[in-house]
Amino acid sequence: MPPDQVLAAMTEILGGVAGIDQAGITPETPLADLGIDSLMMVEVVVAAEDRFGLLISDDDWARFKTVLDATRYIDQAGGGLG
Amino acid sequence: MTEPPVRIGIVGAGIGGLSLALALRERGLQAEVFEQASELTEIGAAIGLAANAIREFARLGLVGELTAASTIPTELIYRHWRDGSRIAAHPVRQDDWYAKQFGAPWFGIHRADLQKILSAAFDAEHVHLGCRLVNITEQAGSVTLKFANGRTYEADLVVGADGVRSVVRRWVTGADDMVYSGTSAFRGIVPTENLRCLPDPHAIQFWMGPDGHLLHYAIGGAGEAVNFFAVVETPRIWLHNASVTEVPDEVPAASFRGWHPAVTEMIEAASSPVRWGLFTVRPLLRWYRGRVVILGDAAHGMLPHHGQGANTSVEDAFALAGLLADARGDDLETTFSRYQGMRRARTRQIQRSSQVTSTLLHLPDGPAARARNAKVAMVPQDFGWIHSYDVQQALAASGAVSVGHSRNEPS
Repeated sequence: MPPDQVLAAMTEILGGVAGIDQAGITPETPLADLGIDSLMMVEVVVAAEDRFGLLISDDDWARFKTVLDATRYIDQAGGGLG
Repeated sequence: MTEPPVRIGIVGAGIGGLSLALALRERGLQAEVFEQASELTEIGAAIGLAANAIREFARLGLVGELTAASTIPTELIYRHWRDGSRIAAHPVRQDDWYAKQFGAPWFGIHRADLQKILSAAFDAEHVHLGCRLVNITEQAGSVTLKFANGRTYEADLVVGADGVRSVVRRWVTGADDMVYSGTSAFRGIVPTENLRCLPDPHAIQFWMGPDGHLLHYAIGGAGEAVNFFAVVETPRIWLHNASVTEVPDEVPAASFRGWHPAVTEMIEAASSPVRWGLFTVRPLLRWYRGRVVILGDAAHGMLPHHGQGANTSVEDAFALAGLLADARGDDLETTFSRYQGMRRARTRQIQRSSQVTSTLLHLPDGPAARARNAKVAMVPQDFGWIHSYDVQQALAASGAVSVGHSRNEPS
């Protein structure tokens, strides 16, 4: 999956979990600013795993600070290509 | 009905497996339960049943029997490891706070008593003991379980409720997904009257200290015994094949040298010096393969620090039963996918939080421990999401038919 599609999908997932309009989410928006706490983050991670067919370990997602971090990780892990 | 009878095989007659058998029966589905042990004798330890599980058992009419074998804690108390000071305390039975808040009580109960109540509510004829699973084979339209005693069972669907060392999981994922946590525990059950140093013997209490903690609560209809679980951050690596290993007599108490006398007295009062390695299951992407699905510790084995291992397997059981009963027209993969979709985030949240809690419970005195102490003052607010969960509401929200509750509707 091209990176811009990963980004679009992650933005959609985050908007859904945080209950906010995707238009307010940029790649650099800190997840904390979206009101994403650790419980919501698990929902985001599980939804992303299901969407991209890869596992994101707890140690890895704990380092995501922005949408872009998550997108880069999934892109590098080859998410969606299999 | 023109549908053929559904043959459901459950591997494991622990709390998750028996709960599933009961949950399926409530939905009009019969299952056969296969257990490797030759008798239903749960290990000598207790368990905390929380509102999220009890509200399901309440609907089955089991609360009377559970109450007779259980103790409801007076309070939830956090204490300093050495001086025993109360760092935070929250009401449980006081003012009926917990049951009012979460719609069902919290029970400390011996595992053997719980297993007895669940198996009596089910049907001995459908529980097959001495059946250790050795192999699963798929053929067109069915799957066959093969047991070490030579028995086989052909099923339309199989549920692995066979714990953290699940044989079924290994077949589903093709890997060994069990992880040693780097922590181990000593546990025991002690007559309450032998605990002369213990303040508030009928409370559930965490004694928090450097590199370890001790948790205890009372069990039995009159709080006549105290069950404890004492965790240490050793050994770094687990070298044994089994989860349990004998240690020299002095090791458990020596591991808590310098702690409050209530802690050392409790550990010394217990017999059988045994160390339990604490294992988890790494998060899994898929909980099913073909006609086979897993639940409970097999799917999401977690550290026990929220006391939710068994409670989440009860949730899994009632969720899976609801979805299976509701979707007999759909193929199994669709139903299993719904089940996983309903359960994976919830159980991962608790699994993750239990891991974080392990670290917080084991801090040395200092600024980090002081920050932690401020957090434990907020436990009922911060962790209410665990206890308020309602499987039937979650089923209804997912579009499946819930059986509802005769009482305990949240306000």
